[in-house]
Amino acid sequence: MNRIKEHPILGEIKKGRLVTFHYNGQSMEGYEGEPIAVALKASGVLIHRYTKKLHKPRGIFCAIGRCTDCVMVVDGIPNVRTCVTPLKEGMVILTQYGVSAEPFEV
Amino acid sequence: MERVDLIIVGAGPSGLSAAIAAKEYGLRTVVFDENEKPGGQLFKQIHKFFGSKEHKAKIRGYKIGQELLKEAAELGVEVVLNSTVIGLYQDKEITVRIADEIRHYKGDTIIIATGASENMVMFDGWTLPGVIGAGAAQTMLNLHGILPGNRILMLGSGNVGLVVSYQLKQCGCDVVAVIDAAPKIGGYGVHASKIARTGIPFYLPYTIIKAEGTDHVTGVTIGKVDSTWNIVPGSEKHFDVDTICLAVGLSPMSQLLKMAGCTMEDTPKKGGQVPVINKYGETSVSGIFVCGDVSGIEEASSAMIEGKIAGIAAAYSLGYLSADVQCEETAKLENALSSLRQGMFAPGKRGTAIEFTEEGFPVSAHLLINGYLSEDEALCYPGVTKADGVHPMIECTQNIPCNPCQDACQNGCIKIGEKITSLPAVNGEQNCVGCGMCVAACPGQAIFLVNDDYEPGFASITIPYELLTLPQKGETGIGLGRHGEILCQAEVIEVRAAKVFDRTNLVTIKVPSQMSMKVRFYQKKEA
Repeated sequence: MNRIKEHPILGEIKKGRLVTFHYNGQSMEGYEGEPIAVALKASGVLIHRYTKKLHKPRGIFCAIGRCTDCVMVVDGIPNVRTCVTPLKEGMVILTQYGVSAEPFEV
Repeated sequence: MERVDLIIVGAGPSGLSAAIAAKEYGLRTVVFDENEKPGGQLFKQIHKFFGSKEHKAKIRGYKIGQELLKEAAELGVEVVLNSTVIGLYQDKEITVRIADEIRHYKGDTIIIATGASENMVMFDGWTLPGVIGAGAAQTMLNLHGILPGNRILMLGSGNVGLVVSYQLKQCGCDVVAVIDAAPKIGGYGVHASKIARTGIPFYLPYTIIKAEGTDHVTGVTIGKVDSTWNIVPGSEKHFDVDTICLAVGLSPMSQLLKMAGCTMEDTPKKGGQVPVINKYGETSVSGIFVCGDVSGIEEASSAMIEGKIAGIAAAYSLGYLSADVQCEETAKLENALSSLRQGMFAPGKRGTAIEFTEEGFPVSAHLLINGYLSEDEALCYPGVTKADGVHPMIECTQNIPCNPCQDACQNGCIKIGEKITSLPAVNGEQNCVGCGMCVAACPGQAIFLVNDDYEPGFASITIPYELLTLPQKGETGIGLGRHGEILCQAEVIEVRAAKVFDRTNLVTIKVPSQMSMKVRFYQKKEA
């Protein structure tokens, strides 16, 4: 588990309620209001998308919505910056291939 | 289109300070910020700030953030969140994207306080998941309570690299090394020392050759850099890591200013493209002001003062106060600002090699290369003195603007004097009562209480302790040296966690007498 239960300086880190969301068809849990990327990281997801031309994996890089490396398809909308988009119950989150959720043809 | 007296872009430390200052003079002010929450990066800064009282020294960054938000809320400063300013045009018109709408505003004055963005460096494998910015690590740890990884390599030994390495360690991550392509540690020696004593090694001048892994980072290879920026053959080292953190500097986010036609300059000492400004932060375009990192990379402490200066200047330019009041208020703030800009790390001194302190002591070369003082060097400084009974041992050896230790001591044992960059001197003649206030007050965790007369054959050492698992009185662990080397058995004889220490806990250990100048940290025995 990579969540910090007790921080030596900040104490307990306050979170919203525990909710369920869907990642590539799999059911996962995270805290409402935390960035989607954090909920995914807590569940061990590191790859958010594959680049269009070279099909290279990308994950969280800046974590503040600047670099756009962590974009995914969220509730049908591509290019959603998961590091700054709050998690909501029932969200459908898909790995992004290029600019869509359609995996590349091999 | 809506019209206001003052538009501020950015609700970080400088933007909020500007808004507070302007609001106090009655300006109708609106602050836009693209983030979900205000406060900028302050809420990720969990260390105690340097400086003096007027700069909010020894208060942790996130608490300064809370104070600022409270002050802004009480004054009724309007902060519009989730709103990205995407254009700054003629006559001080702006366009803001809020959700799926673009809105127009016009400000009679504008303050740009957009801050800075992290620099990156490219190497083989740099795009792999697991390579992150140091800011990302800070965001994950301190805002969202999640570990960025378990085993981490830090590239960059400036204050950001050092502080974030410590924050990772605080949460239990294993930081395998801090490396830097520069031959000397860039940040404060005290920040380096507090991580060195936990056992984190420094490799300088080293850089990353390759991030390994196919889907995500599984390891890293580093190599020594020669004077022509080539890798020294045979110097390669491999570490198994799951995360690589990049702390290679910041660049001002000055795009809006350029767009508005402000005269820009490229100044490496300020971090890149910055606007040319006068002493009030006004750019070449009348009525457009700047403050904080966008006008040159510095600390949050100076950003807040610059914000106030810009807020007051905007108020004056619209006739909300007289020239006399502006002069008087600005002069006070300029004084506070100039005292922060003194010392070895002053913005103007970036990149210059300094061999002696202001007092004429040689600067520790060992500290600059390895991150800690050698024992011989430590003895040279005025904060390190031998005295009977318990007394402070201050391993603060670089001139940085900081003096909370002097204020913390009620008994006059510690003297810095008027000039806040002076090295603290310990007066062994004064009566130290061992209260530990100085230990907890030091933002650099550089003060220890040593008692060579604790028991025959044994000395006691009080160390500042901010890691996760607090040692318990009565337990026996290991006394570590200045670079985390195992030295001796250490018994915990006292643990103090008073509220006034603000989570810098004081752990007092008993060690053999000959270890009193060597042991500087404590490690629990593996369970």
